[in-house]
Amino acid sequence: MGLLAYGADGYGDELLAGAWVTVQLAVFAYALAAVLGTLMAILTLKPRGVRWAVGRVYASVATGVPSLLVIFLLYYGGTEIVHALLVPFGVDERPSISPFWAAVAALAFVYTPYLADLLRGAIHNVPKGQLEAAEALSVPRRQIWLGVLLPQALRIAYPGFVNIWVVLLKDTALVSLAGLTDLIAAAKVASGSTREPFLFYGVVVVFFVLFAAATIRLANRHARRLDRGVRPSEA
Amino acid sequence: MSFDFALAWDSMPALLNGAWMTVLITASVMAVGAVLGFGMCLVRMSRNRVLAAVGAAYVAVFRGAPSIVLLYLVYAGLPQLSIVRDTPLWVLFASPLFCAILGLGLNHSAYVVEILRGALSAVPPGPVEAALALGLSPRLVFLKVRLPIAVRYGLKAYQNEVLIFLKSTVAVGAVTIADLTGAANEIFSMTYDPFTPLVTAGAMYWAMTNSLRLAFEALDRRLNRHLAAGVPDSRPATARRADPGSALFRRLRRSPAKPAE
Amino acid sequence: MGLAFQTDLGLDARLRHRAAIEIRGLRKRYGAQEVLRGVTLTVERGEKIVLCGPSGSGKSTLIRCINGLERHDGGTIAVNGVDLDADGRGVQDVRREVGMVFQHFNLFPHMTILENCTFAPRHALGLSPAKAAERAMHHLARVRIADQAGKYPAQLSGGQQQRVAIARALCMDPKIMLFDEPTSALDPEMVSEVLQVMEELAAQGMTMLCVTHEMGFARHVADRCVFLDHGEIVEQADAERFFAAPESERLRAFLNQMLR
Repeated sequence: MGLLAYGADGYGDELLAGAWVTVQLAVFAYALAAVLGTLMAILTLKPRGVRWAVGRVYASVATGVPSLLVIFLLYYGGTEIVHALLVPFGVDERPSISPFWAAVAALAFVYTPYLADLLRGAIHNVPKGQLEAAEALSVPRRQIWLGVLLPQALRIAYPGFVNIWVVLLKDTALVSLAGLTDLIAAAKVASGSTREPFLFYGVVVVFFVLFAAATIRLANRHARRLDRGVRPSEA
Repeated sequence: MSFDFALAWDSMPALLNGAWMTVLITASVMAVGAVLGFGMCLVRMSRNRVLAAVGAAYVAVFRGAPSIVLLYLVYAGLPQLSIVRDTPLWVLFASPLFCAILGLGLNHSAYVVEILRGALSAVPPGPVEAALALGLSPRLVFLKVRLPIAVRYGLKAYQNEVLIFLKSTVAVGAVTIADLTGAANEIFSMTYDPFTPLVTAGAMYWAMTNSLRLAFEALDRRLNRHLAAGVPDSRPATARRADPGSALFRRLRRSPAKPAE
Repeated sequence: MGLAFQTDLGLDARLRHRAAIEIRGLRKRYGAQEVLRGVTLTVERGEKIVLCGPSGSGKSTLIRCINGLERHDGGTIAVNGVDLDADGRGVQDVRREVGMVFQHFNLFPHMTILENCTFAPRHALGLSPAKAAERAMHHLARVRIADQAGKYPAQLSGGQQQRVAIARALCMDPKIMLFDEPTSALDPEMVSEVLQVMEELAAQGMTMLCVTHEMGFARHVADRCVFLDHGEIVEQADAERFFAAPESERLRAFLNQMLR
């Protein structure tokens, strides 16, 4: 157990630093995907037109390709991509992209359409009367979205959102292959130099299982709060 | 930022080689997952408390762990056990391909257990009771009534899982196997062209996931042809809904099934 | 458990009674709740019995015990002289003699109508596919649905599905038919087509035990009506007396409720 100690003798500090990278990565990527997914859901609400078609092509690509491939693409080619995006605005710069932010962007790119589709489905499932009632009360459009439709849709989409969170969390494990020193990379170094793979990979498994369980628990408690006054019996 | 068609063409053989490895691994893992998943599902659903707990632990560990960790565990961990190191098993575990298939298979099978278990418990008791009342043996009732209905219920969830794990096979790079992503990476490191090999490989992955999806949908239509047009779909919601990503595209193909004559 | 012992008992029972079903002191509980408290009922061969009673009175449980879908906790059941003991021995033999029709039809959704009917004869009786199909078409014609044999259950109406379910049971050549509220899940306009098939079956001499609230059917067909309440048989009489001159207060109250 001394191998897990904090400091020079053990690998505790390395593992902890790796876990912190993993957590940050997952949280940033998920938050970005949630924001972009919400926008995408609203923009592609009607199943026809240009926006819908563009959204579909994007979703098809993002869900049909491994996230590691996208991570590599943004890591190796991110500088070029950002440069190409900035040139039309008269900015001729080539910012360097860190592996961490390449991974955040890549995971967000992949998971945005999943969340968008969940939310779009949920918006369609909010009873039509809600929109009509708000319109009849002449609530401004922005407030209809923020105050009436999105909160109810979020409640409906919540379980799906939690599922995607767990999938994304486990997907972050691949970033070590792109050279990021996350938890997996730390465990690999530790097990390689100590020849104790069971110990260190075991710690990683326990971390992922417990962290996912803890966040699900937290989410469920939050979901019950969201459900208050709607369906008291439904968790 | 440009796509080099000449390079893409020249990389084809190497990429196709990698793609073949990805297909091989995917097919093998599906086979391993089906066998292990079915077996462990019976264990998980056993009336024996100890067996059921073993099944639950199996699912919790192998489903909760990222597959890349399972790969490392099988590849680096198991050869340390004397039962592996000092027996002919060593030959198997010295092969990265075997380890990759086993590691991914463990992960995939844990999902199969949960999908199958959910589907089996969603089968309504009525048809099962009717079969029992006709004097059929419980084994036959399970194999010919409960399981076929469950397979139809679980197919969508299974499709989602297979598509997700096909994409997660990129993890085999961790145990030195050159799959499609590995091949693209290799070409990048030789040419320093960040786009061409990765985009080409991405297109190949896209073609694979979508062919697999179409195959599953054809199977689904075939198995569920008993759901006639205009008849309410009585399957549980989980059986009808695929993952959000593919649900987008499924909407397009939902043409009404023709009623059988 | 010697086989000879069981056979002897069966023979003995056969000689003593020629009853199709003989139930004595049947008890069944779910946890603390006692659903059947000592039911004794004999069904003679060829007899048609209608079982009725308020919901929760135990009538469904009673007939589900007869073919072992529920295990009883006490008392005895013998079907055609074969004992069905509480730990489930004899259940396969009994099930081959007894056909059952359910409230919700319970057809196999993934099989065609024909496959629904041939499945059990092929696998439980070992008939060849051709022979089983021939038998199935005979019974499907009997319930006037032979033209739908290639369809799937979901493509039929409720009444049609229930007639298929009856044909499916008949394909096993049962000596006894149990009906568990066969018309209560049907739309009103479909009730009569099912009842008609049941009446024809009765006219052909089938032994029948029906849980139903169809009073017309009871009057027409039943040799005997049995009123069950709180897990006990409260009253039984021929149909005429049962409806016209109920003796117990509980049956009077029940009939009043039904007729309202």
